Amino acid sequence: MTPPDAEPDARPASIDCETAVRRLWDFVDGRLPGIAHAEVEEHLATCALCPPHFQFARTMRGALAASAPAQVSDDDETRLRERVRSALRSLRPDDDTSPQ
Amino acid sequence: MQHPSDALAFERLTMPHLAEVARFARSLTRDAARADDLVQETYLQALRGWHTFQDGSDPRRWLFAVCHHTFLRTTRREARYVEAPDDDPELESLATAVAHGNAQKSGAAETVERMDLRAAIDRALAALPAHYRGVVVLVDVEGRTYEEAAIILDVAVGTVRSRLFRARRLLQDMLFEHARDWELAQVRASRMVSPSLSSRPSATPPVRPKETR
Repeated sequence: MTPPDAEPDARPASIDCETAVRRLWDFVDGRLPGIAHAEVEEHLATCALCPPHFQFARTMRGALAASAPAQVSDDDETRLRERVRSALRSLRPDDDTSPQ
Repeated sequence: MQHPSDALAFERLTMPHLAEVARFARSLTRDAARADDLVQETYLQALRGWHTFQDGSDPRRWLFAVCHHTFLRTTRREARYVEAPDDDPELESLATAVAHGNAQKSGAAETVERMDLRAAIDRALAALPAHYRGVVVLVDVEGRTYEEAAIILDVAVGTVRSRLFRARRLLQDMLFEHARDWELAQVRASRMVSPSLSSRPSATPPVRPKETR
């Protein structure tokens, strides 16, 4: 995938492993400038050592995304709303005009 | 700047976002009871700070900021956490790759692929210092951009990047540590089930160096 800001005439330079892995998270997050992104892509296409590092980074990020808690159930939301409203009322004991 | 100043206005603008705040709180705390406490405290803090809410701004984002701030405050009170300085993000990337290389050699990287990654991630997130957990939850769990996270955390985008990279390296380290523990537990369990087989090669051998390429 070529980032939208890639310069069409620029050619990626050959980079070494250290340069590639220094860009690991920026690359995985899609935040590298076009030419830098292409340099990493080209390195990964020819290097035997670096691709597993990038693959694991993607796997971990995917697992983090999948760890998001489920939506709060209607019952839980109702219970929590009552609890919060009750706590809020305790801050203003003279006020009994809570919205329904 | 005109401010809604009464409790009715507060509830009208903030209550529709309660479920999302609750979900965010669960992501941060990884514990349903603590999350409920955090939601309640968030709304109390939000009402106390209602005069700081700028009319016309996004109440949902504001509540997330209050929630995260409240989470940090309560967690620091419990753990006396000392903030580490933000390091060079590129060095964190480099360190992440080096640590993965070491885990490949020890076999821990391979073990991670066999174990329940969801449970391991939950455990690692719960152990991650609050300072780093917020940014990981916002960007990697909730899928927000660096820029959105920066607004909610009230830090620069560069700080989001450096904290995020550090947090991911810490999480990766914890996953590999968990993998080593898991591997040992598997070996112990297999010996307890069939002690007569303990001298034979195990189906899940203990951590050993892999061949170097």
